[in-house]
Amino acid sequence: MKVTLNWLKEYVDFSLSPADIAKILTMAGLEVEEYHTETRDFSNLVVAKVESVAKHPNADKLSVCTVNTGVKQLQIVCGAPNVAAGMLAPLALAGATVAGGLKIEARAVRGVPSDGMLCSEVELGLSERADGLMVLPENTPLGMKMEDFIGEADTVFDIFITPNRPDCMSVIGIARVLAAFTGAKFIKPVVKFSAPLMEPVEKSMSVEIMNSDKCARYSGRLIRDVQIKQSPFWLANRLHTVGIRSINNVVDITNYVMMETGQPLHAFDYDRLAGKKIIVREAVEGEKFVTLDNQEHTLNKEALLICDAEKPVALAGVMGGINSEVEDSTRTVFLESAYFDPANIRFTAKNLEMMTEASRRMEKGIDPDGTVYAMDRAVQLMEELAVGRIVQSCIDNYPRKIDPVKIDLSVGRINTLLGTSLSAQEIIAFFPALEITLLRQDGDLLHIIVPTFRPDLTREVDIIEEIAMLYGYDNIRFELAPKINQTQEQNPNTHFRDQIRYSLAGFGFRETISYSLISEKLAEPFLADKCEFIKLLNPLSLDMAGFRPSLILSLLTNVAYNRNRQMPDMRFFEIGNVAWKEPQQQGFTEITQIGAILAGKKQQQAWNAQAAGYDFYDIKGAVTAFLRKCGIHNFEQGTVREKIWDKESSSILINGKYCGAFGKINAALCSLFKIKVPDVYAFFINYQDVYENRATGLKYTAISKFPSIPFDLALLVDAGIALHDIEKEIWQSAGPHLVNLKLFDYYQGEQIQQGKKSIAFSLTFSSKECTLSVEEVDRAVKNVLSHLNKLFGAILRPG
Amino acid sequence: MAEKLQTIVTQISQITAEFQRELAGAESRNDAEQLKLKYLSRKGPIQNLFGLLGTLDNQDRPQAGAELNRLKADVQKAIDAKIESFYVETASIESFDPSLPGQDWPVGGIHPLMVVMDEIKQVFAGMGFRIEEGNEIETDYHNFEALNIPPHHPSRDMHDTFYLGGKYLLRTHTSPVQIHVMESQKPPIRMIAPGKCYRKDTPDASHSPMFHQVEGLCVDKGVSFADLKGVVQAFALKMFGRDVKVRFRPGFFPFTEPSAEYDFSCFCKGKGCRVCKNTGWLEISGAGMVDPAVFGFVDYDPKIYSGYAFGMGVERIAMLKYEIPDIRIIYENDLRFLEQF
Ligand SMILES: [Zn+2]
Repeated sequence: MKVTLNWLKEYVDFSLSPADIAKILTMAGLEVEEYHTETRDFSNLVVAKVESVAKHPNADKLSVCTVNTGVKQLQIVCGAPNVAAGMLAPLALAGATVAGGLKIEARAVRGVPSDGMLCSEVELGLSERADGLMVLPENTPLGMKMEDFIGEADTVFDIFITPNRPDCMSVIGIARVLAAFTGAKFIKPVVKFSAPLMEPVEKSMSVEIMNSDKCARYSGRLIRDVQIKQSPFWLANRLHTVGIRSINNVVDITNYVMMETGQPLHAFDYDRLAGKKIIVREAVEGEKFVTLDNQEHTLNKEALLICDAEKPVALAGVMGGINSEVEDSTRTVFLESAYFDPANIRFTAKNLEMMTEASRRMEKGIDPDGTVYAMDRAVQLMEELAVGRIVQSCIDNYPRKIDPVKIDLSVGRINTLLGTSLSAQEIIAFFPALEITLLRQDGDLLHIIVPTFRPDLTREVDIIEEIAMLYGYDNIRFELAPKINQTQEQNPNTHFRDQIRYSLAGFGFRETISYSLISEKLAEPFLADKCEFIKLLNPLSLDMAGFRPSLILSLLTNVAYNRNRQMPDMRFFEIGNVAWKEPQQQGFTEITQIGAILAGKKQQQAWNAQAAGYDFYDIKGAVTAFLRKCGIHNFEQGTVREKIWDKESSSILINGKYCGAFGKINAALCSLFKIKVPDVYAFFINYQDVYENRATGLKYTAISKFPSIPFDLALLVDAGIALHDIEKEIWQSAGPHLVNLKLFDYYQGEQIQQGKKSIAFSLTFSSKECTLSVEEVDRAVKNVLSHLNKLFGAILRPG
Repeated sequence: MAEKLQTIVTQISQITAEFQRELAGAESRNDAEQLKLKYLSRKGPIQNLFGLLGTLDNQDRPQAGAELNRLKADVQKAIDAKIESFYVETASIESFDPSLPGQDWPVGGIHPLMVVMDEIKQVFAGMGFRIEEGNEIETDYHNFEALNIPPHHPSRDMHDTFYLGGKYLLRTHTSPVQIHVMESQKPPIRMIAPGKCYRKDTPDASHSPMFHQVEGLCVDKGVSFADLKGVVQAFALKMFGRDVKVRFRPGFFPFTEPSAEYDFSCFCKGKGCRVCKNTGWLEISGAGMVDPAVFGFVDYDPKIYSGYAFGMGVERIAMLKYEIPDIRIIYENDLRFLEQF
């Protein structure tokens, strides 16, 4: 909402700087987002009289004029259609600069010398009216500087009006707040007009409201003998400063009064209304209507229409119709000032995507008591500007009276909620500024009535906010010993998650934060069979079409981003939410996932080391170490389910449950992400599974006081037997004293019988009760050997 | 002993003697590496003997195999020791250069946004706030209605929402977590809800369709606006140091009444600078007293309980703290960015 300093001054008496006003309004809840004082250069611009007009010899559309500046006569070539002998207009002399930065100088125009330029309002930056010279009043002194004619530069404030303050979508509303917060006097304009036409308005117009729940009040006035013409300069200029285009005198007045009072008005061409009748009714489903911006709309039955006896003529509270708008030929105007149901206007405006100045006000709730005031204010201006003659009696159909709200206010509650110690008298002293009426005081309780222009004040707490603002948020103390609740335990889930983030960082991964919104094309390979991508109904772009189904997707995006910038090597992790839609699911599945990725080189070429890339066992090592850090010492491996993996991949099973997978990302997926070298390894694990299987309730286990005995065991087995199975059987058969088992050599190839592999373990035996004898260890090893021989045909490796 | 076996044993001792002699003559790491190549390569003499194993009688093979293995292991060990000795010598005596770079060691790290998030969580955890979380896909009811934002209400315009169809949407703030907590617990409540939120804002230097928020809620008997001011001030001091000042000014949120916006004094100490646009204040976020209508949705009695709520944008704080000029940098995950923190 734009408002100017000079306009505010019409209703409130103050002498504050623009900076002070901005601060005061902001602290009153009307945030001034920006303010600026008009900058303009009117030097070498004077008032001049056109004394004669002759045709330009070389151009049809140009005239050659003699103009008088009071000091001298000049010859000016002019292209404006309205130039006429006897008129007064602004003259730009050599040295002047007009809007758009054009420098004026004496020069020939199509062969005829011109000493300067006669100007329109748009050339002076005063309005958008470009259709002719700015017409100055006849009594303006010749030679007067335009600077003096226009007066001092105004300051425009751009204020963010929160949706709860429809009263402040008006200059009067903002002036009222400014007065309340400065203690200055607020002066609401007194409306006076003569209305000479004594005819009864009912003879010329009747209003029937079919849906009083959607139209609580409908007021109207008739103006006859109307002359549609340009608005005077001050009106066009004022609308211009707040961002509204000047149209003609009638429309400008309705807009001016809307800006001033907040009440949207609409002017109909009375002669185009059939049957001298207005009917307010709901639309028929599918009914068509053309608004005055020449757009045809198909309405649903919620929309409210203003109709004459035959047809709709306006979309209530949103926009008038093209079939009844005021035109140059209009002789009689019917002026509408109504109160429509805010929710319904909002619904219709949203539905038709038609946010207008009127609907923006109507949908938030204007003052139901203000319809007549605004309408009368408009006819006062029409009378003053000689637009037409006013019919004295008016229409005011108010079938559903909206009463002012009564509220009981407890002084104790105010102080408890704010942490203040205000007395009843101090609180009552705030009421006049809010135009709140105190009905009576009843001990702690104040019974009050709230004015109808504040639809946001319906409850005690709403009044408490008003009091807090007037008292000043700054004046409420900082409670330095706020109430605390130390009976809660910390949330183990978030605590654990933060711990594992720091673990992964400790393992050398960098945390990333990626957009959860991604393209469908990238998501597809990550979706399990029959699971669906979650699409936004209203995405910003195809690149952000829906919700990510996997963290590896995000990590690959990050790899691609860095690879494109000559950074090929990285280790990333991210913990975040992923989601998808299961078949026949009502809602969505949203889970937290842990993802990590290794890309490029693990070791750069260095003076003491060869360059080396990552391999499957690097990512497996990362998974193993990470899970061990979480207290999960064993996981099983199985076949992967996702389509993203190369054959070097494996699932992660914890207690038999599929919790994630790891391995090499396949080349096809890398190329989908535009990763040229497919040397990328990754893992993902579902967070909840890690959380549920984490080590909890740890207790100390006694450490053996006796020396441990190592034993190396080298075996030859069939190449097809998985190491994991052999290890499992060693643990099975080695007896209670085996405490550690580690593979230290693995070989397949020459020197070994074909179809066999050589594996060597280092076993550690230890007892908590005694020093083990060599015989005990030998026995255990023999047992292992015979067990493995029986199961797998394993034999001791010769040598 | 079979003849063939005898030949092999003889050769083993010859190779051993030859090797010992050559080893003694090795004077550099390079010499030792040459020896390794000579004796242990696939075409070396030891490997040759392995090739003869097949020609032996069955009963002789294990013994010969064992001898050969031992020879190979001994040679390997001796060469390795020799190579090692050169490293030790050069390192310890002649040209030990401590300025050579150390072994590459992977450096991990926490994303700067999360560093700030973690710091915020720690500060509030220390003040007795429990950390609560919720889903990013929410229902209209929890994101809007229960927060006193009915359908078609004008204040929905302040939240450009991503819709998923039906009653589902991406949460526009973490406030729905407050509703979930109040639905399942009775006062006293003291919690913060950190997390990702989504609004349909076209990305530019200061807008992002995804951002992180921390919202706080305290509900108890007799909780006041002064308590809210105290907690926000305590947070400001712990986060930004004891010189920071806190300012509350009126604001509007459907779920709080009275509502406020709060600002922290700028690092320029009120002198005015580019960051604070010469106002001396940095806008942080909104706060207020929980609207009684919200208590109505979770069945708390507003006559007995009152509460405050506050929010803050984590990106905003991180951008101020680290002087990050453009919010989009945060989600690019450029290594040159991440490695700075
Ligand atoms: Zn500053």
